[in-house]
Amino acid sequence: MSLVSFIKVGKQADCVTKQEISESLKLINYSFNTEVRAVVIKPNLCYYLDRSTGQTTDPKFVAQLIDLLRESISTNVQISIVESDASAMRCKYAFRMLGYEKLAKEKDVRIVNLSEQENENASVSCNGNTYNFKVPKVISNADLRINVSKIKYTVDPIKLTCALKNIYGCNPYPKKFKYHEDLGNVIVALNKAMKFDLFLVDGYSVCGVEPRKLRLAMASTDPVAIDVACARIAWLDPNKIKYFKIAEREGIGKRDFVPKGMPLQYFRSVYPKKTFKIKMKAQAYKIIIQTGLGPRLGLG
Amino acid sequence: MKNIKLGIIGLGNVGMLHLRHSLKLANAQVVSVADTSVKALEKAKALGIKHSFTDYAEMLRDPQIDAVLISLPTHLHLRSSRLAAEAKKDIFLEKPIAGTVEEAKEVISAAKRNCVKIMLGYPMRFNKNFKKVKDDLENGLFGDVENAHAILVSSGPFFHRAMGYSPVPVPEWWFNTQLTGGGVLMDLGCHMINLFRWFFGEVVDIKSQFGHRFNMDFEDSAMCLARFESGSLAAINVGWFSQTYLLQIDLLGSVRTAYVQHVPPKAMSSVYQMLTKGVTSFNQPHFDELQYFVDCLIRDEVPSPTSIDGLRDLEAISKAYKNQIVL
Repeated sequence: MSLVSFIKVGKQADCVTKQEISESLKLINYSFNTEVRAVVIKPNLCYYLDRSTGQTTDPKFVAQLIDLLRESISTNVQISIVESDASAMRCKYAFRMLGYEKLAKEKDVRIVNLSEQENENASVSCNGNTYNFKVPKVISNADLRINVSKIKYTVDPIKLTCALKNIYGCNPYPKKFKYHEDLGNVIVALNKAMKFDLFLVDGYSVCGVEPRKLRLAMASTDPVAIDVACARIAWLDPNKIKYFKIAEREGIGKRDFVPKGMPLQYFRSVYPKKTFKIKMKAQAYKIIIQTGLGPRLGLG
Repeated sequence: MKNIKLGIIGLGNVGMLHLRHSLKLANAQVVSVADTSVKALEKAKALGIKHSFTDYAEMLRDPQIDAVLISLPTHLHLRSSRLAAEAKKDIFLEKPIAGTVEEAKEVISAAKRNCVKIMLGYPMRFNKNFKKVKDDLENGLFGDVENAHAILVSSGPFFHRAMGYSPVPVPEWWFNTQLTGGGVLMDLGCHMINLFRWFFGEVVDIKSQFGHRFNMDFEDSAMCLARFESGSLAAINVGWFSQTYLLQIDLLGSVRTAYVQHVPPKAMSSVYQMLTKGVTSFNQPHFDELQYFVDCLIRDEVPSPTSIDGLRDLEAISKAYKNQIVL
């Protein structure tokens, strides 16, 4: 079974610190390979919603991770922070607005818009279907790929955005909206096409029905295990999230895990969960938007 | 009674709102719309608009159009209003009047030269609570307003846009200060400056402090301190940084104090208001300003806020950009 670590971030810190990331890695018995030359870090950049909303990975977390990588591997290690354009988001603005351009200058790392990179073709099967993607060479050529995700609710049937879903942002094709009909399978297929080595969660602030400072850092080498753990924190039933099962079946990871560090229950008790009333409201809103009645009813 | 025939130029978010409202106006009829987006024109067609144009200059040649509603990006205000004036159409122009004071003056002279009426789109002047404040101020109920505070925060242009269920990016021009003329002070600040000019007279002096939370070339927050003709000192606080929309004014008078908000209703209230009245309380001022514009045209009266109001707002904003203080 995979190990998943849970670390409580100290009250004094305004983000997850290098020591806390290091501690989370020790708990899962992970150490960096000193032979590594090129590292890719994939944060979760959500539209133009900055870290205070709990929807975007805090650049300060990534800054601490960069320091740790340089201390643990080498000061010469090449680090690229990657993201791709999306239906509504443009990397050239998101990197700047969300603080990653500033981080890149301060830490002398590259920020890379995957939608403007050289790619190679990848054909992967998932759940009986074949999917063709472009895989950016900056990802396939890296020696170490680190996924730094957030914990947040998303649309049904995916329900949760965390490690697996974050890889969706590695797909260089910008108009990702076209995948929404088959989102679960596409997420799993992308995780097969682009395998990451280490999964960290910036849970300093999370986004449930509202943002909350959860002061949590997590680590695992298994994206399915860490997502299952995050689903539990977010009061979701992992058994009802179909793409977790598909991911396990496709060999991405295991749904069973061994927790290390602070008890998961502690973070679950703080997470801003969805109430029945909120779920019903969301359902009604979805129906209104789907039927095109939004503008007529003064919504959307 | 005469029926005013309207053409709408620009069918973005505000243009589409104007179109929906215009369809419910008394004594007015929307005959044509113009936008470069074919999708937007299709939406207008679905609402019953027969004539649509991808080039508004072509639309302006239609002699049956009496007036146009211009809801284009700021950098297009001068050209579109000049062409509309030359085509002898009365103009309802969205705020701000133009990107610069010089351009604003050209808009005014084009309207004057061609003897057409021009009204600036400042819906807060049509909010019933702000109108009550204006009346109370004029009737002396507040005494002397020593201090006032205006807050207008939202996510500005960075709200999550969608065509139906499909997300779309923020239009590129929003990121270019050459095209917008500025940041949040230009976009939202002009509303509050216009409102306080209505309450307290012209801006005598103004100083500002800007924020750049999103690291862009334009300010995404602005705090201005302005002295008005009435002697009132006002803090004007606007921002594009908040996921929550809030428009609030506080007036601190020697006799009475007041605070007034203009915020969107809750979802259920919004649905109820749309079903019963066809317009939400939040959008009612937007509807009322259009009805007032049409009524002024029928009565051959000069509508207000005028283009001079637009110019004075822009002059104050321009001064605020020059008079920056750094704390």
